[in-house]
Amino acid sequence: MINSEMNKLVETLLQGDHAGALAEAKRLRAAGVAPERIVTEGMEAAMSRLDDKCTVESFNLLEIMLVGRAVSAVANELYPEGMPPEQGRATFVIATLEGDVHDLGKNITRMVLIGKGYRVVDLGKDCPVENLVNAAQREQADAVLVSGLISPVIAQVRKVRPALAERGLGGIKVVAGGAALKQSSAEALNVDYVAETAFDGARYLDELMRRRHE
Amino acid sequence: MNSLERIKAAIALDPVDRTPAVPQLFGHAATLAGVALGDYLRDGGLLARCQIEALKHYGHDVVFAFMDLSVETEAVGSILQYRENQYPDVASYVLTPDGDLSALTMPDPARAGRMPELLRAAGILRRELGDTVLVAGCVAGPMTLATQLLGIETALYLAADDPERFEKILDFAAAVAIRYGTAQIAAGVHLPVIFDPAASSAVVPPQFFRELLLPRLKRVFAAFSQAGALAGWLNIAGPTEAILPYYPEAGADIANFDYYVAPDRAQQLLPHTCLDGNIKSLSFVDAAPEEVGAAASRLVAAFAGRGGFLLSSGCEIPPEAKPENIAAMVAACRGDEACRS
Repeated sequence: MINSEMNKLVETLLQGDHAGALAEAKRLRAAGVAPERIVTEGMEAAMSRLDDKCTVESFNLLEIMLVGRAVSAVANELYPEGMPPEQGRATFVIATLEGDVHDLGKNITRMVLIGKGYRVVDLGKDCPVENLVNAAQREQADAVLVSGLISPVIAQVRKVRPALAERGLGGIKVVAGGAALKQSSAEALNVDYVAETAFDGARYLDELMRRRHE
Repeated sequence: MNSLERIKAAIALDPVDRTPAVPQLFGHAATLAGVALGDYLRDGGLLARCQIEALKHYGHDVVFAFMDLSVETEAVGSILQYRENQYPDVASYVLTPDGDLSALTMPDPARAGRMPELLRAAGILRRELGDTVLVAGCVAGPMTLATQLLGIETALYLAADDPERFEKILDFAAAVAIRYGTAQIAAGVHLPVIFDPAASSAVVPPQFFRELLLPRLKRVFAAFSQAGALAGWLNIAGPTEAILPYYPEAGADIANFDYYVAPDRAQQLLPHTCLDGNIKSLSFVDAAPEEVGAAASRLVAAFAGRGGFLLSSGCEIPPEAKPENIAAMVAACRGDEACRS
């Protein structure tokens, strides 16, 4: 019974039906299903299927935004105060850096990571590197993620790693993504990984977290 | 052959003396001239002067009467935030998801926002260059303007939640493109390029392009053709392999392709259409001139058998690009000329 209800939630999420997904999640909670289980068997399962579907060749923002909106609605229902650190598998701090106000890519990445059960601290757009480093320290982040649509922001991206190291946070991984940044390399950007898509970045982080827990 | 004749021949897939060099140089012309981008984007006379200076400097085959993709939304009523050396952003969108669509008024290109300045630039460029060089104008495509009227997230959610309302906005955006583009033709451009980055398959699925955007692009290109445009030029960056085959139906005689699409694949998909592309934009900023030159030469060679090619970047060459990298790209076309002669 619960399994079929959970499948219904996954399907509704994948259809991008946020109102329907919210109703399914409420039904599951009313039936006594724990939020953790809804995250892993509902939200994560939906994101995993969307990941399989979204190859680099067939990755479009509209579809992902609709699923992301549905996933966020369920996450907000389960955790109105935000996902607690002990519930999330890891904490990531995400921002569009100073000089760039295009934050759609960042917002999508945030939704994908929330859907995978991570705790995501979003610093918004036009964010100074110093604020990013402060947040990484305060939130005990496992990684920081920066997104950039336009090339002038590259100079800011290159500053992130040294700024983290200066605070003794050199162990925090830095992931970059977005239309301008993905034309470059990790070496040129002075980051640990350049993600081709939000899912590519999420896979890198999954693997990183898996290795940490081994 | 002069530049315009060379480009016309390439559009017709006829023989050319060398591959035309068509770098997408917009704000870079300001940087090259040592002018603040914010001034360049608001002064048609300055824009025209910088474009002509860049043309003299690099010796390529096109000038662009183009400011940025916010001109139309500003003319309709959005508030922009200008920065000294960056393109402006929309600080306040003219439309809200449930706002009154009938309040949207068609901008008059002779008076609205920066449109008159752009028309002034178009007129100066055509007067100065006549029919020696292609003078290209530019308009935002319907999808891009819709996202600029609402904000991209709001626009995409609206497209899913209230398609009927969204289509009305697309119709308005297409009408703005027609009004602004035909005014550019009247002011002197040989053709207005339709830039529609938000129509890319990275943003919306191919089915969305076919059903919602293709009919409107068709309408805009048909109006441009009727107003005397030399050709239809569609520029959509990003992964466009799934939608390229629809470009001729839209009315595009020149199809831009970005670095995501391999040159041989683009030729397979559009065997009878002139293509322009596809050097990575960022390589003009961070690569060495030899690398850009080599990429350009590979592209020229890839089209040597077929013709119908304009050597270009896949997307805009960033304002801060290294001039020696653009020169290296143009030099690949000169090398082509030497080989042919």
